[in-house]
Amino acid sequence: MSTAGSSKVMTTKEAIGRFVHDGDSVITGNYTEGMPMSMIFELIRQRKKNLTYYSQSGSIDAEFLVAGDCVDRMCSAFIHKWAGRGFGSMVERYQRAGKLLVEDYTNFTYNARLAAGAFGYSFMPVLPAIMDSDVFKVRNSGYMGEKKFDVVKCPFTGREIPVVPAANPDVCLLHVQRADRKGNAQHWGGLGSTVHACLASKTIIVSCEELVDYDIIKSSPHHTIVPAFRVSAVIEEPYGCHPCDLPGYSNPDRPMYSLINSAFYCEDGLKSLLDEWVYGLPDRNAYIRHYIDLFGQDTLNRYRARSYYSAPADYGVAFESAWDANGRSIDLGVDMEGLVQLIEEKGELVYVK
Amino acid sequence: MLSKKITKQELLVVTAAREIKNGDVAVLGIGLPILAGAVAKQTHAPDAVLMMESGIIDFEPRVLPANVADATCTRGYGYATDLFSVFTTITYAGYLDKAFLGVAQIDKYGNINTSYLGKPPEAERITAAGGAPEFFAYAKESILTMKGKGFVEKLPYFTSPGYLGGGDERERSGRYTPGSGPRMLITGKGIFKFDPVTREMYLDALFPGINVESVRADVPWDLKMADTLHAFPIPTDEEIDFLRKLSPISAFPVTMGYQLSAAYHNSEREKKATCR
Repeated sequence: MSTAGSSKVMTTKEAIGRFVHDGDSVITGNYTEGMPMSMIFELIRQRKKNLTYYSQSGSIDAEFLVAGDCVDRMCSAFIHKWAGRGFGSMVERYQRAGKLLVEDYTNFTYNARLAAGAFGYSFMPVLPAIMDSDVFKVRNSGYMGEKKFDVVKCPFTGREIPVVPAANPDVCLLHVQRADRKGNAQHWGGLGSTVHACLASKTIIVSCEELVDYDIIKSSPHHTIVPAFRVSAVIEEPYGCHPCDLPGYSNPDRPMYSLINSAFYCEDGLKSLLDEWVYGLPDRNAYIRHYIDLFGQDTLNRYRARSYYSAPADYGVAFESAWDANGRSIDLGVDMEGLVQLIEEKGELVYVK
Repeated sequence: MLSKKITKQELLVVTAAREIKNGDVAVLGIGLPILAGAVAKQTHAPDAVLMMESGIIDFEPRVLPANVADATCTRGYGYATDLFSVFTTITYAGYLDKAFLGVAQIDKYGNINTSYLGKPPEAERITAAGGAPEFFAYAKESILTMKGKGFVEKLPYFTSPGYLGGGDERERSGRYTPGSGPRMLITGKGIFKFDPVTREMYLDALFPGINVESVRADVPWDLKMADTLHAFPIPTDEEIDFLRKLSPISAFPVTMGYQLSAAYHNSEREKKATCR
């Protein structure tokens, strides 16, 4: 539902406070490209609880949220093991301790749940080979029980088809290159399951590197991945996905990744990282200032993208009006006066009081 | 021609690169497969269509990407689509020639575990399924790489299909692309292939300096051998030079590469902190 008249533009603090509630299911879209880190930090800062978190490729996003005790349940297709075999990952530690229920899908079956949710279907067929995998066979190790998958018979071929239930998360957090004030969100680069993640969700919060005028959006609609009428909040948040990457803006920030990675190698490393970088700072501005204090402006700049522009797509047309430059109808060859005459002669006139 | 010293990791990348043919449509996993794809495209396979499952199709790796949708892979590429389309319109529809992914555990019929070392949720996690189950099911052929000694008699968790129970079981099930399956496994000790009838894995080539006993020590079943064991390919200077330019840290074992890099970044940061 679009909120006509009232502005959707707000701060991350306002958006997360207003639209994410304890117990909600929350989804982020991609691998780690464009990961909405600022919003993830804000979820932790506001100490959101009992979330069900959908993360296709569980990386630092999932690690931070789990370490921040925000998440009870997780649906995922991958968990990056930050500290290798030794300390593993926070997701793994919580899962093994029984503090986190994880439902494991494959990238495709995970995405198929979202596609079903986005299209309004209640389930989606997936590819038959999954029936040989323990991803399909092992149930009851997460929170969905037997209904993680099911099998239906194709009414046309009679074949068995594995299916997954639709997923419709409460809130999608999306970070993009640019958006307008109404929420038309433009992203380019590897899309992953981002679009289905957004369109399956009930509420979408968009943060962007740059807030732009609608003129920019309407000249490049092929980059719009979510239309304004689906979006509830828009945040202009430069460096909103740092240290993750975003085409046109930044590479993965290796020095920051190195710092984060070292935190995984001790028991409470991640907790102290959260104290310093999340709880200890009010917002993303302060985060970037803290980064600059520690690493220097030159380091931040080194990972900033150098532009490589897409060739403009020419959306031009021959006629933008039914009337030519001389005020004559292109189809009828008459001017407006001539049209009135023509209407009186040939029109099917009706007489109204 | 090879005129320089090379590392084990470099030889593995070049060995894998030689498996990509000109014109192949190949999906690449993060790490060694990406490097191999890049070397192939730069040298003998300029018309290979390299892709990543996030929907980045026909790209050229320029630096080592950190994730499957990495911004460094989208600076110029042929076809921008999404994950759902990759698995349906490209993979299941039959247009994917090769899937090229790393694995953690493998059994004698090429079935794969990348999920858990036992029964979830209590068991130690490996990573998870990612895109592997569907790629290994529907790519025309698969090339696997493995770092550790992951050969097991019985997988504790069956993530992705190889030849199932061997023989024609995969073919008969009707759930797979006809003729598909793992073609080879490349490890730091050898190249392993699969018997065309029994589908059992056998040793086809020995890594330089490795003997058969050392390979057998990692394999819990009685490993079969090719009649004549082959040698690994000899890289060219061109391949090695390109690889070093592409990803200097990849000349080292992965953990060592990241440690060296982290040590550099952390010392730079500390220098700055002292200057303040």
